[in-house]
Amino acid sequence: MSQRMLARAMTLAAGLFVAVALPLGAQDQKGTLVFAVETLGAQTLDPILEGRPGNAVYQAVMYDSLVGFNVEKGGLGPGVAERWELAPDGMAWTFYLRPSQKFHNGDPLTAHDVKFSLERQMGPGSLAAAAATMRRTIKSIEVIDDLTVKVHTTSPQIGLPAGLSRAVAPEGAIMPKAYIEKVGEEEFRRKPVGSGPWKFVRNVPGDRIEFAAVSTPHWRGTPHFKELHILLVPEESTRVSMVRTGEAAIASIGPEAMLSASRAGLEVLSVPATMQAVFQFWGTYKPELKDSPIAKVRVRQALSLAIDRKQLIEHLMNGKARLPHPFAAFAYTDYYSADRWERWAAEAYRYDPVLAKKILAEEGYPNGFELKFANTALPGTQFMVDIGTAIADMWTKIGVKVTLKHYEWGSFAPLERGDQAPLIGWASMYRTAGRPDAQWRYNGAFSPDSTQRLLGDKDTCLETCQEFVKTYRALLDERDPNKRTVLTDRMVELVANSWTVVPLIEGMGYYAINTKKVGRFTAIAGRHELGDVFERIPRPEQVPWKK
Amino acid sequence: MWRHKRLPAMKRYIARRLMQGVVLLCLVAAIVFFLGRLTGNPVDLMLPEDATPEDRAALIRTLGLDGSILDQFLIFVGNAVQGDLGMSIRMKQPAVEAFFDRLPNTLVIIPWALLLAMALGIPLGVVAALHRGGLLDRAAGAVAVLGVAMPSFWLGVLLIFVFSVELGWLPSGRMGGPAHYVLPVVTLGMFLVAGFMRITRSAMLEVMESEFVKLARIKGLSEGVVIWKHCLRNALIPVLTLWGVFVGNLITGAIVTETVFAWPGIGRLTYEAVIYRDFPLLQAVIILKSILILVINLGVDILYAYVDPRIRLA
Repeated sequence: MSQRMLARAMTLAAGLFVAVALPLGAQDQKGTLVFAVETLGAQTLDPILEGRPGNAVYQAVMYDSLVGFNVEKGGLGPGVAERWELAPDGMAWTFYLRPSQKFHNGDPLTAHDVKFSLERQMGPGSLAAAAATMRRTIKSIEVIDDLTVKVHTTSPQIGLPAGLSRAVAPEGAIMPKAYIEKVGEEEFRRKPVGSGPWKFVRNVPGDRIEFAAVSTPHWRGTPHFKELHILLVPEESTRVSMVRTGEAAIASIGPEAMLSASRAGLEVLSVPATMQAVFQFWGTYKPELKDSPIAKVRVRQALSLAIDRKQLIEHLMNGKARLPHPFAAFAYTDYYSADRWERWAAEAYRYDPVLAKKILAEEGYPNGFELKFANTALPGTQFMVDIGTAIADMWTKIGVKVTLKHYEWGSFAPLERGDQAPLIGWASMYRTAGRPDAQWRYNGAFSPDSTQRLLGDKDTCLETCQEFVKTYRALLDERDPNKRTVLTDRMVELVANSWTVVPLIEGMGYYAINTKKVGRFTAIAGRHELGDVFERIPRPEQVPWKK
Repeated sequence: MWRHKRLPAMKRYIARRLMQGVVLLCLVAAIVFFLGRLTGNPVDLMLPEDATPEDRAALIRTLGLDGSILDQFLIFVGNAVQGDLGMSIRMKQPAVEAFFDRLPNTLVIIPWALLLAMALGIPLGVVAALHRGGLLDRAAGAVAVLGVAMPSFWLGVLLIFVFSVELGWLPSGRMGGPAHYVLPVVTLGMFLVAGFMRITRSAMLEVMESEFVKLARIKGLSEGVVIWKHCLRNALIPVLTLWGVFVGNLITGAIVTETVFAWPGIGRLTYEAVIYRDFPLLQAVIILKSILILVINLGVDILYAYVDPRIRLA
């Protein structure tokens, strides 16, 4: 063999060695995926210090959750745990973990980390939204073996896996026990370690967070880009400009910016079913409202019939929204007869001002009545103010004289607590985020001991309210999937027919995309944020993830 | 002898100004504390809409917001006098530390904005004064009006559209190399061009009527030397005394500019503190900004008092 041939053979062998030695993902990872977003929340990489939106945008990138997503349908799916089961007595959940999971520092991810993470979320320093609920409902956490963990509850908790799923809440994020115990919390916050498809590189407060792709195959998907930069750009027009100039590949936008982004040649991605905009009535069951028009179910229904939802969708949402399901229900809602309710909603939420006026006349208000309406928008949904203004205008067309008052969310939120005196007898705008477990949202809005208590309170819980309480309690204890569906449908029916909370539109999440910087992809239904999608986003030259 | 008499007067003046500053800071702290709490509660923004009352109460306790407002205020005052302005609710770091982390990012654009404003405003003021009532005076006036009337957010967005999106010359925002500074500096500086222009113009008009200027002309000095050397030099005294006010304007004006250009300075920090109802951070940012502005103004006033005895004796 000549020297030249030997050199060639050695080069070939070296190439083969590199190809085999390097994990498959690492060979194919190139470039930087730049994402511009309006807020980074608390901008901390410690899961116990961040709320749901921040977790879903950037913590999800580097942390896996005990229960994950069904990326095809939306809703719950396998996560760190492949499967989970309820004990026969309903008092414990057992989670079976995937084998061979590792943290970015090389430590194996085991049941001990799961126990540690859940206990940390429940601990005194935790700002987790559900910390108090977890403390009350979780009795103890038992490590059965390295891949099995059992969560004992104080009462049957049918919804526990949903509460530990990123589809619903951030409390299921799994953190590295050994690492945190070794370096301490402060160092962990500076140099966080997770097990997701991206590992932490740098956090520049008020500016950006940078991640690098893991080079080994990951069960959520191995990233196609080498790096991920999430930039904090509060001003929407600046975000769109950055996508246009290529400084960012993707930017979150509101429906107001959709049209201009499309006209500028950007692709607009719509994430289906991320929220519902609703209007709702406060304290309709109160004795002092006995003679108020809004205490009458048919009057509330008439107000819904006066709303032209197709106009709202066409003109305010640029066609990128859809007729809603009943309150807090979506096509992906668990244990829910989605097809049946979709048909129901198409009929019930129609625009029929003639019938609306007829009902008002039959109920004794042929010339309409005076309605006080609080127009507000939760953070990130500023378009709801326009929707509120539009529906107030639509009501005037059936003779209702609307007194419209605009509230910034920070001023509105305190009104719904305590005795709710400033809101009793009012209608207001509200929204509900997309999540697969409707019962928790229903509990938060309608239970007599909840914050909003829209159907009744502890002093006045009338027939519908009592029926709701009964149904909700039965649902919490029901383990049979078919019976759960029946009970969920019943709960939805009670609320839908009360016309206390009336859905207006089913909204979407919107993103402006520069297709020269990223390939085509779709998001997860109901999941506005892209924290669980980045690893699946292809480079421009690659095959689309999903059509 | 002259110096010996001056110092006690200066000391009294400085002591008086410092006392005024302390009183002002106390007022600012109280106003920010109580007004901030009128705008809502951070817990409303941190919890999902279906949070239980139990979770809400627990979070309020964890954040130390469970006492009465008066109790919270007394705790705040007690800590503040020891230099502790609290922990940022959102960022979970000492609020003072968060402020000083971001301050350098603002300080790197303010001198450039000031320089730009002076470089444009002062010559425009001189030209306007020289052509009083004429076309150039009106044109300079129009520029001044535009500078004040154009909202910073609109100017910023417009500049991004033209120079980043359409021409592709400059980045849309964010901190980076020298090119990243251009648009934020122009946006921030334009606001002050009008101020510099108008003060220079009126000061120039006053100086140009002075006896020493007439004398200079009689002596046969060229018009250029008279205007740019003798008149402008004297006209700049009132301009420079307003410098402190203008720096204050830049610090407060940076909120909009930094938000539009995604610039992580103290302006954006203020915006974030308001949006998230991060009371400790908001209090710290406003108090520290007030101190900054007070110190700058005090420095300028002391200088002015040193230069002009009428001020310290008044």
